[in-house]
Amino acid sequence: MKSLEPQVVTGLFPRLASRFEAERDALIALDGKVGDSDLGLTMSKAFVAARDAVAALDDPDLPTQMKVAGAAIAKAAPSTMGTLMATGFLRGSKALAEAEVLDVAGLAAFWRAYADGVAQRGKAVLGDKTVLDVLDPIACAFEAQDQAGADLEDAAQFAKQTAVEALEATRDLVAQHGKAAAFQEKSRGLQDAGGTVACILADELNAFVQENLTSV
Amino acid sequence: MKKFLNAPEDFVDEMLEGIYRAHPEVTYAADDKRCYVTANPVPGKVGIVTGGGSGHLPTFLGFVGKNMLDGCGVGGVFQSPSADQLLEVTKYVDQGAGVLYLYGNYTGDIMNFDMAGELAEVDDIATATVTGNDDVASSIVGEEHKRRGVAGIFFLYKAAGAAAAAMMPLAEVARITEKAKARTRTMGVALSACIVPEIGKPGFEIGADEMEIGMGIHGEPGISRKKLAPADAVVDEMMDRIFAEQNYAKGDEVAVLMNGLGGTPLEELYILYRRLGQLMDARGVKIRHVWLGEFATSMEMAGFSISILHLDDELEPLIAAEANTPFFKHFSN
Repeated sequence: MKSLEPQVVTGLFPRLASRFEAERDALIALDGKVGDSDLGLTMSKAFVAARDAVAALDDPDLPTQMKVAGAAIAKAAPSTMGTLMATGFLRGSKALAEAEVLDVAGLAAFWRAYADGVAQRGKAVLGDKTVLDVLDPIACAFEAQDQAGADLEDAAQFAKQTAVEALEATRDLVAQHGKAAAFQEKSRGLQDAGGTVACILADELNAFVQENLTSV
Repeated sequence: MKKFLNAPEDFVDEMLEGIYRAHPEVTYAADDKRCYVTANPVPGKVGIVTGGGSGHLPTFLGFVGKNMLDGCGVGGVFQSPSADQLLEVTKYVDQGAGVLYLYGNYTGDIMNFDMAGELAEVDDIATATVTGNDDVASSIVGEEHKRRGVAGIFFLYKAAGAAAAAMMPLAEVARITEKAKARTRTMGVALSACIVPEIGKPGFEIGADEMEIGMGIHGEPGISRKKLAPADAVVDEMMDRIFAEQNYAKGDEVAVLMNGLGGTPLEELYILYRRLGQLMDARGVKIRHVWLGEFATSMEMAGFSISILHLDDELEPLIAAEANTPFFKHFSN
């Protein structure tokens, strides 16, 4: 079974920070249609903080990386979305408590705990047009790939594709939470801003996995 | 808007600066004035942390002090403190025995306290949570978990504070606080609106001759709006709802909190309390403790609330225990 060593996984955080910095204006524009336009700022601040906090660690294991990233996000981004992402990483850290390397089973456990933590803290259910409508499919994708005994690069690719499709499907949903809920029907047809964040996570994870497995 | 202010956006921080100048027994953690803590933490004691929006003094921070609370996250007017501020308060307050989070049942506060608890766990600090939900008017029987926390949290503060001061462990402090919560009920009535400084105008309109029964302490809609009735009739209507929820038998004892919302004079609170005493006499229920004044306000809102704690042998001595905070002094004999 293919897997990634913890010291390799630390490389995921600079990648996420760069991507969210690059997507900042696009996320601001997307969120501005029905929200309060702070999502782009919040997420770039959040993942820059996660990057710096993980970089400061000395040879951290997987749960420590995820835990420290979650705590850094909570501090740097005290908005709803920041709090939800922080919760996801903290719960994911617990799911990886025994994991020495990152493999498909570990990713399935990580994303399941991530999605469930977000659902619990955000009091959202599937179909409410939130980040959960992309996070949950990502978790399901890794779980299915784990069951099927898939290789890491195939599972990551499948999860990314699932996230892209799930994000597209959020267009048909009507917002029930936060400021977007005030727009209700107006939110129909728009891709969910929070879901976009989850899709970026799956996309970067996949790119990271492909890059690091082929270079071995 | 007619308020004594410098700039509306400085309302909370300048209030805090005044409090720190007046009361050296409180201070702040993490170089953040909104991380309000006791200056005299007790080693080995369970810490009790509350928090919530500003605009309700003495609630919430006013009850940080001896035999009551140890810290408070201070939010903007009617806004939750951040998870990070609550975490900083938690770290300061923890004396190795864990921390009880005790605050009102509001969505924003719950999210931030839960997040702080999760972050505290990363730092190996144990936390437990009890949320006050005493406001009878805010949801029906059977849906108590949806009820808001209002003035009755004072009794929870008192019970929890005395239990922690007796050096009980965290689980026991939490159990006792849950019990006090299950036995506390509040009904409120408002005569006028309050003005959030940064908004500058009243949160709602109410006629000069009207009252709203069951209004929340942020102006949340109540059960009914009607013509203002005589004081006795208002108390009767409120107490009907409270009596319907708890079985107060002849010979039982209660503690009473007659709370002004900010714009109602003490004279009126005593007129209202007179009627409450008559109702309790008629039922043969003994008022063992009574506190009357401003405990949980909504800035200049006129109105009052009645909170009743149905005492038992375990809770009574905890409620009777002394307390000494900048905003609340209780000397027992």
